[in-house]
Amino acid sequence: MDTTVFVPVTDTDTPDTGRLAVRARGLTKTYGSGEAQVRALDGVDVDFAEGRFTAIMGPSGSGKSTLMHLLAGLDSATAGQAFLGSTEITGLGDKALTRLRRDRVGFVFQQFNLLPMFTARDNITLPLELAGAKADREWFDTLVRTLGLDQRLEHRPSELSGGQQQRVAIARALIAQPEVVFADEPTGNLDSRSGAEVLSFLRRSVRELGRTIIMVTHDPAAAAYADRVVLIADGRIAGEITDPTPEAVLAGLDALRSLEGPVADDAAQAGA
Amino acid sequence: MLRITLAQMRRSSGRLAAAGIAIVIGTAFVAATLLAGDVVTRTTYDSIAARYADADLVVGATIEDPVTDVAALGEVDGVDSVAPMSASYAELSAGARSVFQTIIPTADDRLMPMVATVGSMPTQDDEIALPQDVAERLGVETGERINLNRSVPAEDGSWEQVTVRPVVVGILDDPYGAYSQTGGAAVVDADTFATWRAEENGGEVGAEEVAVAVSPGADVAAVQAALATAVGGTTDPEDARWVVPTDERAATVAASLTGGQDLVFLIFVLTFAAIALVVAGLVIANTFQVLVAQRARTLALLRCVGANKAQVGRGVLTEAAILGAVASVAGVLLGTALGQGALWVAGAMDLPVPLPDSITLTWQVVVIPVLVGTLVTVGAALVPARVATRVAPLAALRPADAPSASRRAGRVRLVLSMLTAVLGFALLGLGAALGTVAQEPTFGVLAGIAGGALSFVGVAVGAVFWLPKVAALAGRLVGASGPTARLASANTLRNPRRTATTSTALLIGVTLVAMMSTGAASARTSLTSALDEQFPVDVEVSSSTYDEEGARTALSDGLRADVSSVADVAAITDLTDVSLGVPDIVDPDGEPVSVDFTALDPGAAREVLNAPDHIDGLAPGTALLGYTNAESLELADGDRLTLTGADGTATFSVAVNEVEPYVNYLAADDLPQVQAGTVVTDMYVALADSADAAGTVATIQDVVSDSGESAQVTGIAVQRAMYDEVIDTVLAIVLGLLAVAVVIALIGVANTLSLSVIERRKESATLRAIGLSKSQLRGMLAIEGLLIAGVGAVLGIVLGLVYGWGGSAAALGIMGDVTLTVPWLDVTLVLVVALAAGLVASVAPARTALKASPVEALAAD
Ligand SMILES: Nc1ncnc2c1ncn2[C@@H]1O[C@H](COP(=O)(O)OP(=O)(O)OP(=O)(O)O)[C@@H](O)[C@H]1O
Ligand SMILES: [Mg+2]
Repeated sequence: MDTTVFVPVTDTDTPDTGRLAVRARGLTKTYGSGEAQVRALDGVDVDFAEGRFTAIMGPSGSGKSTLMHLLAGLDSATAGQAFLGSTEITGLGDKALTRLRRDRVGFVFQQFNLLPMFTARDNITLPLELAGAKADREWFDTLVRTLGLDQRLEHRPSELSGGQQQRVAIARALIAQPEVVFADEPTGNLDSRSGAEVLSFLRRSVRELGRTIIMVTHDPAAAAYADRVVLIADGRIAGEITDPTPEAVLAGLDALRSLEGPVADDAAQAGA
Repeated sequence: MLRITLAQMRRSSGRLAAAGIAIVIGTAFVAATLLAGDVVTRTTYDSIAARYADADLVVGATIEDPVTDVAALGEVDGVDSVAPMSASYAELSAGARSVFQTIIPTADDRLMPMVATVGSMPTQDDEIALPQDVAERLGVETGERINLNRSVPAEDGSWEQVTVRPVVVGILDDPYGAYSQTGGAAVVDADTFATWRAEENGGEVGAEEVAVAVSPGADVAAVQAALATAVGGTTDPEDARWVVPTDERAATVAASLTGGQDLVFLIFVLTFAAIALVVAGLVIANTFQVLVAQRARTLALLRCVGANKAQVGRGVLTEAAILGAVASVAGVLLGTALGQGALWVAGAMDLPVPLPDSITLTWQVVVIPVLVGTLVTVGAALVPARVATRVAPLAALRPADAPSASRRAGRVRLVLSMLTAVLGFALLGLGAALGTVAQEPTFGVLAGIAGGALSFVGVAVGAVFWLPKVAALAGRLVGASGPTARLASANTLRNPRRTATTSTALLIGVTLVAMMSTGAASARTSLTSALDEQFPVDVEVSSSTYDEEGARTALSDGLRADVSSVADVAAITDLTDVSLGVPDIVDPDGEPVSVDFTALDPGAAREVLNAPDHIDGLAPGTALLGYTNAESLELADGDRLTLTGADGTATFSVAVNEVEPYVNYLAADDLPQVQAGTVVTDMYVALADSADAAGTVATIQDVVSDSGESAQVTGIAVQRAMYDEVIDTVLAIVLGLLAVAVVIALIGVANTLSLSVIERRKESATLRAIGLSKSQLRGMLAIEGLLIAGVGAVLGIVLGLVYGWGGSAAALGIMGDVTLTVPWLDVTLVLVVALAAGLVASVAPARTALKASPVEALAAD
């Protein structure tokens, strides 16, 4: 396939801090076998710098979620390597992966996925509890204040709005001070105002709290909150945009679509 | 709609299967019970019918007017042979061994149920054939002679023993168990038998019953009529003289023998089957409750596209009916297989009663369980069906909470269940009070049963309100131990109704088990202490001869040594009986009274007595008087009593025995002061706790009779062992029957857990994504299982103890102080089984939960 890209990507793209939080080398994932085989990821090389907010964009079925699962150690790769900091996570066992997810990675899900029987406070501190660690009071307060949850800590998820639930989920993802937070369409279930709130919190946690965030999104406006957008199409990196604006992102996506129209369509159908 | 129902059933087949197992077990229980009832009836009938061997007809008459000329019946046209159905009894002995044996006369082969396996049937008046085990017991073989002792009336009206010495000519088998109840029957020649019977009865006696074999090819009905005419009777068994077919006669005898007891047995066992089915119903109700909750979306969609409420409700009920019917049929198959298997096992065990080879399937055995099983399943699905009709079409469009039964009904239920429970416990208390204070066991037990049943209904119906609170408390306790436990306890509480139903199912079984164990333990303790009071020692050996002066003779040192060296004799203590004069107290004639004392060593005796308080207060220098004696001597605690014996006089301080009315005790050390040269007349024997009481007492008896001394062996050990055995057997049977309900409830626990796990698939994935390890997830489910099972078990045990105590107080109060015993062993066992089952129940769901990969947490549904 033609790998003409909108903006050329180089392997040695060095971010400001110079340190890499996440790296992928030749990362490949295939589902199924024989006729029905799907190559969801096809030799992806990509780096994510520490202390940056990166958005991953691409047509439906292009492999965004798959990439994230592999980078976060939720799923195993068919080939290639993924690194978290200096740890190679491809090839780690379940025990090590669990510990890694608990201590070094945070997740924000599209459906919030809060535990309905726990209060917001309990939900936030759950990862620490599972690790048997004590919550850092100061960090907890900072998070709760930054996310505007002070008044909502004793409520259960069913008593919170979608935006509030997602903020609780973000707090939960950040409480253990993980090296990276992965978010798969965190604003997908929110209206545009709540979405904007959540996104600015994500950006603040990068700018003010020094976190690293990798977010999958379909929304160019959402992507514009990021420091950098990585474009993916048909399981490969198709380009990137630094300091994106909604217009730039839209243009980038259009370019992808015009390049790979039929394929993207197929993928969209397969994904539907 | 049926198509949709079937499709939904297919999708939920796994979930339904577990619930179906509950019904399978319940209906298998019912079917097996019905089959067992049938086998009992048939076995009784068969062994009765066997006595008539191959007889075609039975002629009957009354005792007052028996058939005297039996032989004449043989002359009736079409009659092949006849045999009087009479039996006599005699003592058979050989050497030192003897048995009391039923004896029957020889008869034509067709009318003789016993068969000679060795030798032949007797033909002479000095011959006899013995059942195999009788011959073995007597240690004789064919050709040897035995003694046969009969009692015949003498001239003066007394009974005289007549002994003859017949030779054993045959060893018999009883292949159809005709005489299994009487330990087989010995056979003597028919003429000899008739002579003996005439001697025993002081003249010729006729037969009340005569078995008749009809000639091959003869018309049985015609022979029956001819015989009726011959004996001057009819073919109606209600008449004074009658002739009926053998099977009809056997059925009548069998019915009168069991006296309807087989029905009582059936009802007794079916009660437990009913309990098992109630528990199964709870499991079913829970499953459908969860299914409806999980299908809320689909149901709402159906409503959106035009299904009405009735259709939705009917769908759930149809599903229940199909499940119930399928599971019930499987249950009948299982029950039948179990019944047949049990027969095979019992058949191989060589029981004295010949059992039928195979079960007979009557229509009741098939139809009743299937009907009951289906009805229970549909009944259990009624509430879930009603809940399903409440799913609004709108629910398809928004993620609504699971539908539930209305709140108003909840309040009514709360109030009603509380009232019932309070009233029930009050009645139970009243029953206990009636039994203990008012000593009215009949009313006490009635009130106790009514109160127990009522309160339990209240407790079970109200469980949904209070059980989750108890679970919450328990959850908080375990939750303190870490995040896994905290997750587990939070999970247990999120569906209070579900947890409550699951625990209630277990609660029912465990309560009954604990109640029965407690009742049995209390009954045992009360019986034992009642026995101990009457008879304070296991075994007593007493000299039973008297010297010229009327004093009892001594038990020899040798005998005492022999008895104490019998295995399982734990301790013995010697007793000496003396009669001492009381110079200070005179009878109405002015003579000083004399008082009998038993002297023993208080320290050693306390080791031997079952109730050491029997000699409370006995010490050197004290005379312990029975309370009735003390009263008649007008003596009280602390009084001084001077006693005179052959060798001196001494003064004792009086202690009044509060438990023993008549026996007066002295310490053995004090005896020489008043009378020297006394002898040991009795000894108390204590058996080891583990002893086989009957066997040990028999050995002691043998030792005593071998010694040649005349002494009597008495004691409560054998009775106590017998009571214990009866209680243990009854308890074992009842617990075995209740175990079915407990097993079903435990299946319910597993079912609830797996339903919850399916429901929480995404949540498990989320937890795994944010760092819950596999073992933590497994641990979480294990703790959930433990919580649900543990709460049900602990509450059941507590309730069971209350009921067991209440019942014991009501029923046993009349026997004196009721000891409220906690059967620790049983209680611990129940708890351990429940907890272990809770743990095991979590294994399969945990495997399912672990299959949910963390990736699923991120997938939209
Ligand atoms: N478990 C699976 N089994 C088989 N194929 C899969 C599986 N998961 C994903 N795929 C396929 O892999 C490809 C990439 O899927 P992925 O979920 O990564 O896409 P995506 O970019 O996240 O799409 P969307 O924007 O729709 O979420 C798709 O073609 C999809 O059909
Ligand atoms: Mg995706």
